[in-house]
Amino acid sequence: MFEGIVVSILLWFGMYLLVTLSLNIEYGYGGIPNFGLALAVLMGAITVGGIVNRVIISIFSVNAITFTAASGFAKSAMDELISSNPMYGIALLILILVISALIGGTVGAVFILPSAKLRSDYLAITLLAISEVMFMIVYYNTDIVGGYYGAPTPNILAFIPGEDRDVVFTILILLIAFIIFIFVERLINSPYGRLLRAMREDEDVMRSFGKDIMKIRIKTMAIGSAIASIGGALYSLYAGNVIGIINLSARINWTFFPFLMVLLGGMGNNKGVTLGTLTFVTIWRLIDIYKHEIAKTFNLPFDVNWLQYIIFGVLMIIILYYRPEGILKEKPIKTEPIKEFENKVKSSKPA
Amino acid sequence: MGVFDGAIIYANLLVLLSIGLTMTYITTSVPNFAQGSFAVFGSYISFTLFKLLKIHPYFSLPISFILGGLLGILTYLTVLRPLINKGASVVILMIATLAWDLILFGFIGIFSEYIGKITKSYATKFIFTPFDFKLFGLNGIFFVSMAVIILLLLFLFILLYKTKFGIALRASMENPNLAEVMGINVEYTRVFSWFLSGALAGIAGSLLPFKQEIVQSTGAMIIVSIFAASIVGGLGSIYGALLGGYLIGLSESLITFYLSKLFGTGVLVYSKVIPLIFLIITLLFIPQGLSSIKWERWRKLICLRA
Repeated sequence: MFEGIVVSILLWFGMYLLVTLSLNIEYGYGGIPNFGLALAVLMGAITVGGIVNRVIISIFSVNAITFTAASGFAKSAMDELISSNPMYGIALLILILVISALIGGTVGAVFILPSAKLRSDYLAITLLAISEVMFMIVYYNTDIVGGYYGAPTPNILAFIPGEDRDVVFTILILLIAFIIFIFVERLINSPYGRLLRAMREDEDVMRSFGKDIMKIRIKTMAIGSAIASIGGALYSLYAGNVIGIINLSARINWTFFPFLMVLLGGMGNNKGVTLGTLTFVTIWRLIDIYKHEIAKTFNLPFDVNWLQYIIFGVLMIIILYYRPEGILKEKPIKTEPIKEFENKVKSSKPA
Repeated sequence: MGVFDGAIIYANLLVLLSIGLTMTYITTSVPNFAQGSFAVFGSYISFTLFKLLKIHPYFSLPISFILGGLLGILTYLTVLRPLINKGASVVILMIATLAWDLILFGFIGIFSEYIGKITKSYATKFIFTPFDFKLFGLNGIFFVSMAVIILLLLFLFILLYKTKFGIALRASMENPNLAEVMGINVEYTRVFSWFLSGALAGIAGSLLPFKQEIVQSTGAMIIVSIFAASIVGGLGSIYGALLGGYLIGLSESLITFYLSKLFGTGVLVYSKVIPLIFLIITLLFIPQGLSSIKWERWRKLICLRA
């Protein structure tokens, strides 16, 4: 039981870390209020459920009445192939990661174009509206990725016995999250990262230095959305179905919760965001795992999920009011010249 | 329900919601993402009064008005004012309204399950259409929503243009600093605008179940239309909200209907694309909305041509 809880927390931590790191690049460092974050995650689900599934369906020339059924047959054929040779599974995973990053990046870059003419509040409304409408379309139209019927996704770890799957998947996701974390850290500590922070602080100054704000924004959203899309793809693969992303509470799970984690941990600070993600996921998983016990103990006549929404909504408002900088504050970037300067100051001080 | 009267009813209700959204935006500069949940709150008030006290939803309108208004004030006083006083940015305030929306959603969910158990009925999904009356072959909601919107607009007009309070209100909307210098309590007008916003949303929510089925997440589904209506109108003007509400409400229903005749019912899934397209086109070409267009100039141009 205990081991199961730890695995569940770590698994979600890795998955959400991808999404929160992506939001941190966009909002934490770049100041872009991406209220349509869920759309990037959706792109990952579409890559797996809508594109890769279609390829597999056509390779095995599956015939079925609905897309959901066809995906199911394709999944079992693919799983058989993967269990015969693990290389197929690994190749499929890499293929999916690459395609989802490309699609996510492209959609992110296009998605931000209206911002050329919009102030931050209008931009946030527009991004949220686009993402909401896209979700409604893919949810109600069952021909795109199965909609409310869902679409089964291939099990890339079909060669591993079922009882070990969660543990191996967790290790895999943590590994990918770790690689992305290192990548984001290096990215943020590059000249581009400092440019990003400067853009957040004052766009006019940036313009007067001859920087093209739009170019930086497009680049930022492309990188951010690519990472979030990888997160969405991994979750669709883990859950074995895209329905975990394509549902009507997507705005809560894939936009609001990531915002909460980023603000909880500390905007513009990857270590803080990692801590925030771990804290949130731990609370959230524990509530979810013990929800029947909680309902029984307090004799609640309703689903604990509702209570969870209230708790996290209140938590968000408390953070915004009492600690908007999060658990770990953003620190200035220490570039080589600054380090040198600090050393000089230290050594010149009389002992 | 016919297509045209259905479209008009929907547009009437959307106007109530977009006027509320616009009012609070004018006074506090916060785009309120919880506006949709305000409406669902109103729907549940009427549902509860109907189930428990057998009050017909049409007669519970004053109660929804008042309770909705109190919810609006609560939103402003507990969530937004403390943050505004701390100098929070507009994005932070928007995140706060998203959080508040989630809190309301949680309460609506709990309440709906609770009231379902008490009344031993199904409360997670409901519709009032069977309890509506018929007049001249049309559903009663057509006349009621018409009457409600005319009365409320008249009330707003008199309030804003014929009373001293209204002048103070408009002054503090136009230029809060100047109004404050002139001795107007701007804070008071803000509280009032939140009351009115919540109250109008409450009324819209009580009437909405006569038009469509209410589920717990109805608020999240109509929010795109509400924002589209307000932004097309220009977020800064109540006339704009009126204009935008009708434009979006009517086109969302009618365009979808005609397209579904052409391409089959599969198109119905895409109904929310229409407000989205209107929203994006407006933001790209007339970012200040319809109310910012100088119609006079166009008229002169046309006259010169003729």
